[in-house]
Amino acid sequence: MGTVSPMRQTRLSVDIELKRAPFQLQVNLDAGNEILVLFGPSGAGKTTLLNTIAGLATPDAGEIVFDGRDFFRKHRPGPGINLAARKRRVGYVFQDYALFPHLTAMQNVAYSLCGQRDAGSRALSLLDRLGIGHLGNRYPHELSGGQKQRVAISRALALAPQLLLLDEPFSAIDMSLRERLHSDLHALQRDSGLVVICVTHNLEDAFALGHRLAVIQDGRLEQIGPVEEVFRNPANRRVADSIGIHNLFQARVVDCGPTGIVLEWDGLLLEAPFHPVRPGDVVTAYIRPEDVKVLYPGMPLSKVVSGNQVAGKVISRDPGSASYSLRVRLVNGHDIRVRFASYSYSSLSLTAGKDIRLSLRKDGLVVLTPDKVKAGE
Amino acid sequence: MNWQALRLSVQVTAVASALIFVFGLALALLFARKRFPGQIVAETIITLPMVLPPTVVGFYLLLFLGQGGPIVGLLGLHVLFTWQAAAIAAAVAGLPLMVQSARAAIANVDPGLENAARGLGSSELAVFFRVTLPLARRGVLAGVLLGSARALGEFGATLMVAGNIPGRTQTMPLAIYDAVQGGRNDLAAQMVLLMSVLAFLGLWWVRRIEQLRRRQLPGQTEVKGQGA
Repeated sequence: MGTVSPMRQTRLSVDIELKRAPFQLQVNLDAGNEILVLFGPSGAGKTTLLNTIAGLATPDAGEIVFDGRDFFRKHRPGPGINLAARKRRVGYVFQDYALFPHLTAMQNVAYSLCGQRDAGSRALSLLDRLGIGHLGNRYPHELSGGQKQRVAISRALALAPQLLLLDEPFSAIDMSLRERLHSDLHALQRDSGLVVICVTHNLEDAFALGHRLAVIQDGRLEQIGPVEEVFRNPANRRVADSIGIHNLFQARVVDCGPTGIVLEWDGLLLEAPFHPVRPGDVVTAYIRPEDVKVLYPGMPLSKVVSGNQVAGKVISRDPGSASYSLRVRLVNGHDIRVRFASYSYSSLSLTAGKDIRLSLRKDGLVVLTPDKVKAGE
Repeated sequence: MNWQALRLSVQVTAVASALIFVFGLALALLFARKRFPGQIVAETIITLPMVLPPTVVGFYLLLFLGQGGPIVGLLGLHVLFTWQAAAIAAAVAGLPLMVQSARAAIANVDPGLENAARGLGSSELAVFFRVTLPLARRGVLAGVLLGSARALGEFGATLMVAGNIPGRTQTMPLAIYDAVQGGRNDLAAQMVLLMSVLAFLGLWWVRRIEQLRRRQLPGQTEVKGQGA
């Protein structure tokens, strides 16, 4: 399996329309030999998009072409081309795993190899590759969520697909294994020249995994581009909201210790939780608006909020239904968003123009490092 | 013991069970997985033998199997008053039980699993035999058992389409009736006991299958829950 030379270019191009009232999906995107991450809120149409590529959902019109083969083509009412799912040979890891409950892990993986003489040993080697070879004889209900996901990934790889679709593949897998799977998937993608499309809600997965990121919202492709670029320059506010981060910044690592690191953000020194980086590295980091606290002047500080104090000036204030959102210009010239429950800080009269002090909670600072394998390319 | 009647009953029930399995499974799959116009009417007609008097079912079967009916007209088969007619009558009586049980079991199989199988290269036939049927096997087996038990006990419709010819169409239920009519209560009692034991074993087995299914449910609901 996977003997295709990495030089060979495989392309997937999708340009489809699908209406299932009240839902509408209209997407036009291309993917090459890369990992394309689909990002967006639930209900945006990401899974439906994967289903149309796999042949499990039929668009109303458009075309899906993979490696020169028409998967789907229909531009006028009437008959068109719609290749059956079983003939597409697309590896698909479902969000709910969809493991066959009446088959063992090994039989699940060997499902598509049925009739081949070395089916058993190939299934076993696929399971081994994901570190669960010893669980081959267990039934799905005897496996944990993470183990099931790895069986599902092995089963999809057993097809020796050129196109691999992953629907939230790492949601039930713990951090250490997740990092290993990230690099496994990168190696697999590179060695076999796979086209990989991966749906995720997880920011760190998106960063570590994706070469490019496609943001989908309300059935439409809002933005597509290199991951860092989309995060740094969201095309519009909807994209920014959709990727769910506001306070994204680039900082330089100035110090590393066993319990934490110190970042320098254009003159501001911030403590952040431990992350495997070296002094001098430039990293992308963010803090959720909920993790920025407004400090009462003159009040003793609890230990949690005493660190990372920054002065700033309120620029604007947006009332929400249950929470308020402030835009604050920090002393280093950057804007930051602060969100809090509507009943908090009522005595502070936080209106535009007011000078305040903020605490950027250390534990709330998230450092994103592009995966090393990917960075090395 | 009326051995001829016992042999005929076994023969008729075996053939009826095969018919129930094949046609019942096809209908169950159709009703569970497809939506088509007139579906409710079709399902109701299949279920009718459960509530109609057996004589009414027998009368319809006379029309269907007799002179002027499609079996004689199209296929040229004259089956009235043969054991084959008894088998058809028994199958029609047992079919609704099979369809209901198998249909529920098939409807319970997560379509996502069937889609996964398609994506892994299975044809529709392979999807059915490698995924749907194994997952629905308990309900299907329970349906066949219930249908067979009903077929074994079929009396009224059988009498109308196959008659009561000793050695040719006289099954156990008919032989019991004859024995009582002829004052042979001892003979009737023997056959009644045998029929009761067979029916008890059949239903006991069905109950056991249902118990197993209930015990297995945690694993199955987990899969279904994640599908939502």
